Amino acid sequence: MNRKSTATPRGGPETDVQPPRLDAPVPDDGHGPEGTAAERVGPRAAGLPWWANPRVGLVVVIAVLVLGFSSARPAFLDVELTLVPLQRDIAVFAVVGLAQLAALSLGHMNLAVGRMAALAAFSAGLCYDRFGAPLVVGLVVALVVGALVGALAGGIITATGVNSFVVTLALDFGLLGVVALLYDRFAGGVAFSVRPPGLDALRSDTFSDYCAGSVCGPPVPLLVPFALVALLAVGLFFGRTRQGREILMTGSSPRAARASGIPVGRRIVTAHALSGLLAGLAGFMLATANGAFSASIGESFLLPSFLAPVLGGTLLAGGAVSAFGTVLGATLTSVIQKGLNLLQFEADALQIFIGVVLVVALSLDRIRQVLAERRGVRP
Amino acid sequence: MRVRCSQLVKVFPGVRALDGVDLDLRPGTVHALLGENGAGKSTLIKVLTGVHRADGGTVTLGEDGETRTVAFSRPLDAQAAGIGVVHQERNLVPSFSVAENIALQALPRRAGVVDRAAVRDLARRCLAQLDLDLDVDQPVAELSVAHMQLVEIAKALATDSQVLLLDEPTASLTADEADRLYAVVRRLREQGHVVVLVTHKLEEVFAIADVVTVLRDGRSVAGSVPLATLTRGDVVDLMVGRAHTELELSERSVDRAGTPALELRGVSTSVGHRGIDLAVHRGEIVGLYGLVGAGRSELVRALLGLDSVTGGEVLVDGDAVTIRSVGDALRRHRIGYVTENRKEEGVFLTQNLARNVAVTVWDRLARFGLVRDRDEKDLLATYRDRLGIRLSGPDQLAGQLSGGNQQKISLAKWLAADCSVLVVDEPTVGIDVRTKAAFHELIVELADQGLAILLITSDLPEMVTLADRVAVMHERRITGELLNSHHYTSMSAQVIRLVHGESAVDDPPAA
Repeated sequence: MNRKSTATPRGGPETDVQPPRLDAPVPDDGHGPEGTAAERVGPRAAGLPWWANPRVGLVVVIAVLVLGFSSARPAFLDVELTLVPLQRDIAVFAVVGLAQLAALSLGHMNLAVGRMAALAAFSAGLCYDRFGAPLVVGLVVALVVGALVGALAGGIITATGVNSFVVTLALDFGLLGVVALLYDRFAGGVAFSVRPPGLDALRSDTFSDYCAGSVCGPPVPLLVPFALVALLAVGLFFGRTRQGREILMTGSSPRAARASGIPVGRRIVTAHALSGLLAGLAGFMLATANGAFSASIGESFLLPSFLAPVLGGTLLAGGAVSAFGTVLGATLTSVIQKGLNLLQFEADALQIFIGVVLVVALSLDRIRQVLAERRGVRP
Repeated sequence: MRVRCSQLVKVFPGVRALDGVDLDLRPGTVHALLGENGAGKSTLIKVLTGVHRADGGTVTLGEDGETRTVAFSRPLDAQAAGIGVVHQERNLVPSFSVAENIALQALPRRAGVVDRAAVRDLARRCLAQLDLDLDVDQPVAELSVAHMQLVEIAKALATDSQVLLLDEPTASLTADEADRLYAVVRRLREQGHVVVLVTHKLEEVFAIADVVTVLRDGRSVAGSVPLATLTRGDVVDLMVGRAHTELELSERSVDRAGTPALELRGVSTSVGHRGIDLAVHRGEIVGLYGLVGAGRSELVRALLGLDSVTGGEVLVDGDAVTIRSVGDALRRHRIGYVTENRKEEGVFLTQNLARNVAVTVWDRLARFGLVRDRDEKDLLATYRDRLGIRLSGPDQLAGQLSGGNQQKISLAKWLAADCSVLVVDEPTVGIDVRTKAAFHELIVELADQGLAILLITSDLPEMVTLADRVAVMHERRITGELLNSHHYTSMSAQVIRLVHGESAVDDPPAA
């Protein structure tokens, strides 16, 4: 017997459908047509015209600001006075931004990013102070402690299903007390006074202090490579590895992720552990830059941690990140801060300015989205 | 109120979604709006309801004597003009009561606060118009899908809509529920409303519509033609644009002697199934039929670890297994699940197509732990060709595809994972005739290649076309199993008996 389809087919499935039209979009029931290549890790880059790319805007704004500041205050281009400390700031805040990016990739937040950095820095300081550990051991301990605390946050979020905002907020309060108690108990105050060998070089040297014959390195602080390694590792992780991609998929739709065989719970723990690890690295870097492992490490991290990735085009909603954009975002905020400092703005006025930048940047993101929608693209 | 559109044009970049559409909606008629996915139906509705502005053409309201030309710039304008729409996606607030939802768009107020008594009165009035008896204080979340749909219609009536646009109203309704909806539609027609029905189901069109408009590639190829003058074949020809032939699939034989690829023995689940026995062999399509709510999807979700199996045995290739998650099913037992919930679970709407297809196989694609974009794109190209997915490029987002193509992406990821058992849940809901036929052939082809397929569908003709065996579920139990004769009349009679808990044997199986 033959089976009659209720429908109206011709031929096999291959011949049945028109050949894919690579040039013309399909007017699919109101969903708009699509666009060009994606270069952000994740969605929404597809279909947006190049001018809507947040990174392009950032580069332009940074260039304009640098030109403006240096013509108003030539000291802005002074290597020792401005450029070296500026690079150090950018390096630290880029890593802080990457720590937040790891949580944002899921559509989560890590409000404890500063306190995780503080605990990690304490751990490193303790190693140096009590055990006379070499510099690198302290670094490793800081990373491990950061990752463990991050994994704890991720574990609580997975196990309880409570929003990451609430969990990391609670964790932040808890760690605030823990860090203060620990310094009190082990450092007898608010900082370790010991400095392991090599810390001072890492703190103040640049590659120009190291010469092979008459050829010296560029005036780049020794801390900068830490941020570069973090940038490359995070970019590679989210762009190329199965785990990173699965985290992004989880961020864009947890239900679809579960129904597609992604171990959602484990990915949430991984993302938060990465967030904690990077926070630990940032804590170590800031302690090095300050020359002291103190309880105040990380106090200034929270706002910049969001500013850098969001300026760079990472979605708060999850599913799309840009590691490179995060570095640009950190650069922009550091340049503004440095420039306004040189122009002798007061610290309070500076805060206002940074707040305004955040609102403007986020509005621009929304405007880009609306413009893109007008062009028929559904982000 | 009469609504006339003439030569409507709507242009999206690179595409004329509407390219000269005429539509004449007369009071007291049921007007079917037909067309394949992408023909422009949704765009037309969005223009009529003020979501999009037309780039050309006119919309006029009113009878011959006094007409006015309108151009809605916001949905509220269309609503004020008496055009209401019931979308496929439910637009109700689940935690609000029936009455609150119905009155939401124009809440009666007294002294600045919501007048609850007036809200209830309004809701009761609207429900009475539909001849419906619902508790207006019940939260919408507690209603069945069918009732939600009716509440949405009542909500449209609350704003005094003369024109009601129903987008795929019966997509998730059972036959009985659909009948009730048809009764409501007829009632509205008698009251002088225009009901515009957007649907893929021709049975439905011929059951209740008076007039039909067919869209193809953004043009109206049949503009407001009385349905009485057309046959079913005519309508299909108009939609597809060429004469069609009935599909004749070659006869299939299934070897049921070996070990089943997937077997359930006395399985019970945390969602209430008891003593479920079911087996699917290699190369076999087993249909699992039942009413919406019979517990079919819930059974496979429990099987795949999305809920839990609490008793009995699950055997894959004869070995008793415990499946804890979809990942477990996929990687250890090569079982794939094409979900019925395409938009929320089937695809990642905001991710690109390459990733949507490769999501199940990244571990296989990775070299030294790193996945290359090129490998993903090659994979997508393979399934684009094999399944005939219409896409513009691998960076297109899944949310930008039509429903049928999204469904193919959702299927492609399981094919890419090289599954040997595939559970396919309601594969053709909301999909146009042409794509539906392609899907049917595809499913048969997969079975011919040796996949064991468990097909869940509420579409009886589809079941009779595709399945080799049909198991019928009623209230979370298997009430019977039939060899499919592929003979629609006798099969449907037997299946319906089982659905209602009666034995199928009184009616001798047709050969």
